[in-house]
Amino acid sequence: MTSSPAYRTRTAVAAAQRTLKAAHYLVVALIALVYLFPLFYLANTSLKESADYFTDPVALVTQPTLHNFTAAWEMGRFGGYVVNSVIYTAAAAGLGTLLSLLLAYPIARNYVRGSSVLYGLFVAALFLPLSLPIQFQLMLALGLYNTQIGYVLLMTSELGIGPFLIANYLRGVPQELDQAAAVDGCGYFRFVFQFVLPMSRPALVTVFVLHAIGVWNDIVFATIYLTDPGSLPITRGLFAFYGEYGNDWALLSAAVMIVALPLIVVYIVLQRYIVGGATAGALKS
Amino acid sequence: MNQSPFGTRRTRELVPYLGVAPGLLIFLLFTFLPACAVLVFSFTNLSGVPNVGWEFVGWANYERFLFSGESAANLQVIERTLVFMAVLVVVQNAVALAVALLLNRGIRGASFFRAVVFLPVILGVTVIGLVWSLVLDPVGGPVSGVLNSVGIDSALLGDTTWGFAIIMAIQLWSAVGYSMIIFLSGLQSIPAELIEAATADGANLWQRFRHVTWPLLAPAVNANVLIGIIGSLKTYQLIWVLAGGRDDTVTLPLAVFLRSFGLSSDPTPDQGFASTLSVVQFILIACIALPTMAILRRREVQL
Repeated sequence: MTSSPAYRTRTAVAAAQRTLKAAHYLVVALIALVYLFPLFYLANTSLKESADYFTDPVALVTQPTLHNFTAAWEMGRFGGYVVNSVIYTAAAAGLGTLLSLLLAYPIARNYVRGSSVLYGLFVAALFLPLSLPIQFQLMLALGLYNTQIGYVLLMTSELGIGPFLIANYLRGVPQELDQAAAVDGCGYFRFVFQFVLPMSRPALVTVFVLHAIGVWNDIVFATIYLTDPGSLPITRGLFAFYGEYGNDWALLSAAVMIVALPLIVVYIVLQRYIVGGATAGALKS
Repeated sequence: MNQSPFGTRRTRELVPYLGVAPGLLIFLLFTFLPACAVLVFSFTNLSGVPNVGWEFVGWANYERFLFSGESAANLQVIERTLVFMAVLVVVQNAVALAVALLLNRGIRGASFFRAVVFLPVILGVTVIGLVWSLVLDPVGGPVSGVLNSVGIDSALLGDTTWGFAIIMAIQLWSAVGYSMIIFLSGLQSIPAELIEAATADGANLWQRFRHVTWPLLAPAVNANVLIGIIGSLKTYQLIWVLAGGRDDTVTLPLAVFLRSFGLSSDPTPDQGFASTLSVVQFILIACIALPTMAILRRREVQL
């Protein structure tokens, strides 16, 4: 029995598609390897005794120990650093999002003079030159150098595209509600917090996520403006730990794990908001 | 201007300004005015050492940048900055688009892979810097081991020739996820019927990409290119964490930071000169971003 040419073409196409599909999975697996291998290697190193690391750094761990974790936890102040980072991130991103909302609503509704100038100002700010030296002089002059409140204010001021994103979002929200609420005697700020805030929730989540990623990742401002060891955020604290114990990779890896694991857990739980927020932020800009 | 309908006749016009004031104040004070003042202070010898005065020095900082013993090194910094930007804008977006196209082809576990590639954005520069320093440890690290077995002995991150290239690769690794999710959401907004219609008309994979996907992806491409340009000129934290500001890895924004606080090979803080570097960088951004925006905008309009 001979198969028809049409049948042969069809099987050839199916075979080609199977090969293509297999190639896809191969490439995707390679990409995952490039991303996950460093983390596995880190975990592997962190579970070794320092002496075992020195004999053979690359070998798989045979007798896992949590000794590095307890040692790193005692030697570093990671608990304190994490608390600092959470406070800085929540305060600066929370305050920044709130201020962005208070700026964006009247700009979107044209309730203030020069709304379009303000709008342009926040777009132009994306292209401004770096002002590290001048900010430093300003912080000194205001007595905010090496203060936690100064650091939070500075991180809050990095509004970025926040007001711009929220204003764009609010332009799509009908204005009739403003009139109706005002006729019923609702005050301006009550209206903003009770009605505008929940209505613009998707935009606010985006702005908060973008701002929070920026604050959490900051190491430069923390290096410049915070010198007191008790007030360092985790980025700076971990870097200082590296400076002190940089030759003991087993210990250092445990310290990095202590910082990275909670982040990964938070990421897994909040993935939808974080990834969604970041996407929305970029596409509307 | 519209009048706000809230409050009494006397208060309704003023109240919105009360809301705007704190945000505007903090933004002007900490971000906008310092950025403008950078231009002024680029003409001074402000040192940054506390209690040392400063005065205007005319074009001295600019002359020092362009026509002095260190100008050859400065031009290398500019060159490195441009290479860094090209890699971030072109290579990063090409890789991100390829990964996004791949994940968009109905692969099982696509959302898991998407999350994995985006993960470095969450981990932050210090964790990324230390993880890669561990993997790239020239003494006994896995990469060094593989290279040694084929007869290559390199200091990797510590290498003055390859160090910066490796840093760019790590920067790419850490930021591809961000561009990728933007491409993915762009891809998902393309109606499936269009692709099906093109397939029915006999268009092959490349033709479907070239004539359907690519033009419709314009907003995502534009967003990513702009983010890349702005970002590459503000991204210096990872370079600093990985190489500590070593001379052969310095880009312009990193130089602004290092010179401001005496962290470069020259340990004297020199904030006037750092301001000049910042202005040079600003001009560089403007020269590249403005024409790019114009070109991108035209492409988007033509659709």
